Amino acid sequence: MLILAVVMLCVAVLLAVAFGLAPLGAVIYAADPPFLNTLQAGIQRNLGPWVWDEALLPVLESPSWAVPASLGVLFLAAGLWARRG
Amino acid sequence: MLIRRRRGWETPEAHATPEALVVGRRAALGAGAALFAAPALAQQGPPIAPAPDPAFTAMRNPRFRPERDITAMREAATYNNYYEFGSHKGIWPAAQRLPQRPWTIRIEGLVEREREIGIEEILRIPAEERVLRLRCVEAWAMTVPWTGFAMSELLRLASPLSSARYVVFETAMHRPSMTGLRQSWYPWPYTEGCTIAEAANELAFVATGMYGRPLPPQNGGPVRILFPWKYGFKSGKSIVAVRFAAERPVSFWERLQGNEYGFWANVNPEVPHPRWSQATERLLGTNERVPTRLFNGYGEFVAGLYTGLQHERLWA
Repeated sequence: MLILAVVMLCVAVLLAVAFGLAPLGAVIYAADPPFLNTLQAGIQRNLGPWVWDEALLPVLESPSWAVPASLGVLFLAAGLWARRG
Repeated sequence: MLIRRRRGWETPEAHATPEALVVGRRAALGAGAALFAAPALAQQGPPIAPAPDPAFTAMRNPRFRPERDITAMREAATYNNYYEFGSHKGIWPAAQRLPQRPWTIRIEGLVEREREIGIEEILRIPAEERVLRLRCVEAWAMTVPWTGFAMSELLRLASPLSSARYVVFETAMHRPSMTGLRQSWYPWPYTEGCTIAEAANELAFVATGMYGRPLPPQNGGPVRILFPWKYGFKSGKSIVAVRFAAERPVSFWERLQGNEYGFWANVNPEVPHPRWSQATERLLGTNERVPTRLFNGYGEFVAGLYTGLQHERLWA
């Protein structure tokens, strides 16, 4: 768990250095312009519009490093808690 | 001795429910249903389209024969592509939050005089009704009675310079209602473009109404453009700017997915979309599949526009 935490935090740092505060969506769009449009159509038409608007869009609007950083902190906390237990 | 065997469906008289109880139960159910239905009816939400308005009724131009049944208004007004509101077909309730007044259109670029035109001035242009087929690139189609005027009237109003070769149409950006604009990485605003010759073609249309009503926001209200011989994404909605340019513009979808959505995008059943066939189309309402026609069946009006352009990617 602690190794996973370190990996995630390293990914977060790399993304922060490379892209600064750019939203995750912008980073994905720059890498593959049609990808998010196809994903949005698939999700909104098959699962429901709200899944995209309420769940995925906030993630895509956040800085690209936010997701790996959050996961890193979560794994770190879980790993430390497990070691203490 | 008579032995009577009851068949399965026969019920002893004693087991039958008394009539008074049945009538009373029906009354109680009716009252209950009314009790539940009242709040539901009160919360039905916005109507799908504005009420019929004589100001948006005009004489039908017989030159444009639909050759198909008109699509029911409910279908045309509740099955929409409008990317600013989402990538699904049920955007009509969200679109009701797009304010329709005040509304102005900027005339800019290579024109004699840049200016803003109010919707009131647009609505003073003599209108006609045209029943036109609209073919979506997603292989569905509808036939709608639009109210409006030939796009050549808009060109006359704008007075473009002789150096102008292209027209760019820009869609509104209203952040409070358009959740799609939160996706800041896309090249908003939505723009579409055409050549001056295409805009001046008699089939190119500016719509301000449909079915004898003001144009609903989900269909591009209060004012949109229509190129019935092209795939639907070329017919921009809720237009706020018309720009005249010397260089060919790169439109929203062309920038996003140029291999699938090009500049010309004329309807052609023999040129498939990279992910599906364009040979047939599904009619909204009946779901009947019919063969797609070259230029959406409007070749007699527009085929001449593309003479000498065979080297261009005219069909996607």
